[in-house]
Amino acid sequence: MGSHHLPPTSSLRRWLMTTDHKDVGILYLVTSIYFLVVAGVLALVFRLQLAEPGLNFLSPTAFNQAITIHGLLMILFVISPLAFALANYVVPLQIGARDLAFPRLNALSYWLFLFGGVLVIISFFQERTLDVGWTMYQPLTSAFSPYVGVNTGGLGLALLTASVTVSTVNFVVTIFRSRAKGLRLTALPMFTMSVLLTVLMMLYAFPALLAGIILLASDRLLGTVYFTSPEGGAILWDHIFWFFGHPEVYIVLFPALGVMADTLVTFSRRPLFGRRIIISAMVIVALISFLVWGHHMFLTGIHPDVRRAFVVTTIAISLPFDAIFLSFIYTLSKAKIELRTPMLFTLGSIAIFIIGGITGVFLGSIALDYVLRGTYFVVAHFHYTMAGGGLVGLIAGLYYWYPKMTGRMFSEKLGRLQFILTMIGFNMLYFPLFLAWEMPRRVPLYVESLIPLNQVATIGGFVFGASFLVMFWNLLYSLKYGEPAGENPWGAHTLEWMTKSPPPSGNFEGTPAFVDGRLTFVAANGAAGGEMETHLSIWPLMLSLASFVALLGLTTNILVTTAGLGLLAFSVLGFAGERFISREGELGERWPFDRVDRMKLAWWTFISSEIVLFGVILSAYVYVRTASATWPAPGTLFDIGHGAVNTFVLLTSSLTVALALASSRSGSRAGTVGFLAATLALGAFFLFNKYDEWAELFGHGVTFSSGLPASTFFLTTGIHGAHVFAGLLALVYLLVRALRGAYVRDGHETLEYFGYYWHFVDIVWVFIFPLFYLV
Amino acid sequence: MAASTVEIFNSLWTVFVTLGVLVGVVVISYMAYLVVRNRARPGRPEPEDVPKPGELPREQRGAKKLLISVILSATIVISLILITFTALDVLDRPPADAFEVKVVAFQWGWKFYYPNGYESTGELRIPRGVPVKFYVTSQDVFHNMGIIDLRFKVDAIPGKTNIGWMRVYTTGVYDIRCFELCGDGHGVMIGRLVVMEPEEFESWYSSLTVS
Repeated sequence: MGSHHLPPTSSLRRWLMTTDHKDVGILYLVTSIYFLVVAGVLALVFRLQLAEPGLNFLSPTAFNQAITIHGLLMILFVISPLAFALANYVVPLQIGARDLAFPRLNALSYWLFLFGGVLVIISFFQERTLDVGWTMYQPLTSAFSPYVGVNTGGLGLALLTASVTVSTVNFVVTIFRSRAKGLRLTALPMFTMSVLLTVLMMLYAFPALLAGIILLASDRLLGTVYFTSPEGGAILWDHIFWFFGHPEVYIVLFPALGVMADTLVTFSRRPLFGRRIIISAMVIVALISFLVWGHHMFLTGIHPDVRRAFVVTTIAISLPFDAIFLSFIYTLSKAKIELRTPMLFTLGSIAIFIIGGITGVFLGSIALDYVLRGTYFVVAHFHYTMAGGGLVGLIAGLYYWYPKMTGRMFSEKLGRLQFILTMIGFNMLYFPLFLAWEMPRRVPLYVESLIPLNQVATIGGFVFGASFLVMFWNLLYSLKYGEPAGENPWGAHTLEWMTKSPPPSGNFEGTPAFVDGRLTFVAANGAAGGEMETHLSIWPLMLSLASFVALLGLTTNILVTTAGLGLLAFSVLGFAGERFISREGELGERWPFDRVDRMKLAWWTFISSEIVLFGVILSAYVYVRTASATWPAPGTLFDIGHGAVNTFVLLTSSLTVALALASSRSGSRAGTVGFLAATLALGAFFLFNKYDEWAELFGHGVTFSSGLPASTFFLTTGIHGAHVFAGLLALVYLLVRALRGAYVRDGHETLEYFGYYWHFVDIVWVFIFPLFYLV
Repeated sequence: MAASTVEIFNSLWTVFVTLGVLVGVVVISYMAYLVVRNRARPGRPEPEDVPKPGELPREQRGAKKLLISVILSATIVISLILITFTALDVLDRPPADAFEVKVVAFQWGWKFYYPNGYESTGELRIPRGVPVKFYVTSQDVFHNMGIIDLRFKVDAIPGKTNIGWMRVYTTGVYDIRCFELCGDGHGVMIGRLVVMEPEEFESWYSSLTVS
């Protein structure tokens, strides 16, 4: 077979060490369902409280914690991870790949996600977890919530963003570079297409969340004043959060759209209507999603013209959705619709989303938003879109691919029962909330006339919850007793159905390729003759565990952090030193990245997301500076000398790192070692000079909390300095290896990739220097 | 008589709800109709263009049908937004002769400052039929001043003053509630708005002694 066999599924070792995309998919699935249960039970608890006004079943603090963690978990730890459970399992199969491009990084994303969630759960048992709403508005979350649980929860989110970044890079590279021969980008199955667009949105949206969390954590832990000062404060957070938050809505939805499209084709027995129009519409939505955040801020007093511009973009983004959903519906004409469970959920989800979409137009109207903002109308609307369109759509996907994942059919009868309970429960729960639009969100106390609507909603919540119990029972029972499914139980046309259920390690017997639009399998597995592929590694788990311990220490005991950092260093070395073999198939469709190898593409992808991180941090600086009435003149607070020297040093180091690469290519070991050492020395000098500058400022009493000029300076140069420091650690590693003779005969690429990172860090400084020192 | 801000909202709301329900019912019914009509029954043949296993995706063409539907929905949405902008012209322009009140939100209540310097906490009195303009801010966290019965809402943000206005023709007592989560007391951050007959208001207002 050309690959090491995995230990059996009954072995714990397999689940802790696996890097196989199918296993990782199962891990994501089980974990997201666990968080679904936690977040769902929280919802039932506060729905009970809401069954009558003034019940003191939950204290106000407990109530606020319940709604906050419910929202955060559902959006970030349930719906998206559930989508990525399916994506992990299905995307490589749909494109004919043997695995994701970076199997170990895939396992790493999973473990980071898990430990991020564990941090959020732990925060529950500390003094007050996040109780500020999932939107974490300011300055409530900075100056007015001095609780340790808020810190821990926030750090959990930071770990999640790390997971997301690793995962998005992996999917981007996989979908661009691991497609079967003949599978053009435009011919991707719709689910894979939607995952591609989702990860591209995630790639540029999540760094904004990370930047927001960094600024927030810095305010809370170091005392900077980004959100506690009125010049930054509430509005700065709104801009950052919703720049992430609105794309996030589509990030949650898009994989479900892919599921709907694939299941519509399979069960209506017809090609998708307007496939190219749907794809174009989704691309347009993905682009415009970064330009609509202001519609969450209509009432904050932003400039009326800006507001009108956001109305226009909001309307512009609604029209592609019309095209997508009408195309879905038109697919059903002249069809032969088989109403199996996945199709029922797809149709139900479409109907629910249509209601969510229409009510979204209400909120896009500023005049109505004046009144609807902060009410149950909004709650109803986003549950119809995210829970109805997103979650219910993904349930269709779960049923659709369950036979592929397990090799067994589920009970159709129980599937239908769940569908009926879902539709009744969902609409009983959320439709009354539209009618209760006069009720403020996030309050346990309301007027008596709204009691009946709230009680119907509470009962609906329990029916909706029960529908999941039916699903759990169905899926568990069928695992053992279901009918064998065979390869292609639905008669579908996409590639994931053209192999065994569940697929073997390596996915296909032979290498799939499309010749003249028809599937053929050529030769044996591409691995024949090569080295055995690896499928097990303990380091993803170790790295994540170490990061978790280090972050947990920040809110408990700094010694724990020290231990965590030690473990982290050990794990990084273990990860880097491990011999892990995974190959891309030799035959494959790679347009437009035929000439860019997978590591290079991964680095470029990662660096492009870093641009957003620094873009947001620098924008925050420009924002608060513009909003401030006074600002120290150049040269008065920060010493131009220090900055100028550092600019010179860092630019020189860009040159030396380029020379190191040139030396390695020309086979000069001395040159490689020498220029790497020079780069290391220059970088170290940069940090030393930075330290000197900071120490001087601290000596003069200028600290993190000395107003916005100081806060923004320390934070921005601090984050940049951390990037330099990370680069130095990598340089030490490269230098040690170069001394042993590496990179001279082969492996120049490693230096090239490092060079990209180093140049990027230098370029960021080229922006920081004039912005902070000269203007 | 100039329209009250409540009426402006209500007429807009009616238009949106009518069209929204209409579009929703038509689209979902059409989908349900297709599903029922085209469901797999014994004897119903497979469509000729059924995608075969291992085939690359094809598509159903029908740009015209889609174009017409999208233009139709775009027309509806764009006209709704144009109506909105018309309403906004009124809602965003407080009359110059408005009675002006400053509102400061705090954890967890409302303070009101009248033009004559009188302050009160928790209760605000205004005259019926007279435009009232609010300058709203907050002394601590992000709040939102909402009087839902009067279709009125303004964000209360520390360091920033936002403006809203209303004209009410019915006397009575209305709840002022917070519509942005602001901490433990968010649910009970309730003030009272008392709309009085102009003469009653006048005699009350002129009797106030300001320290």
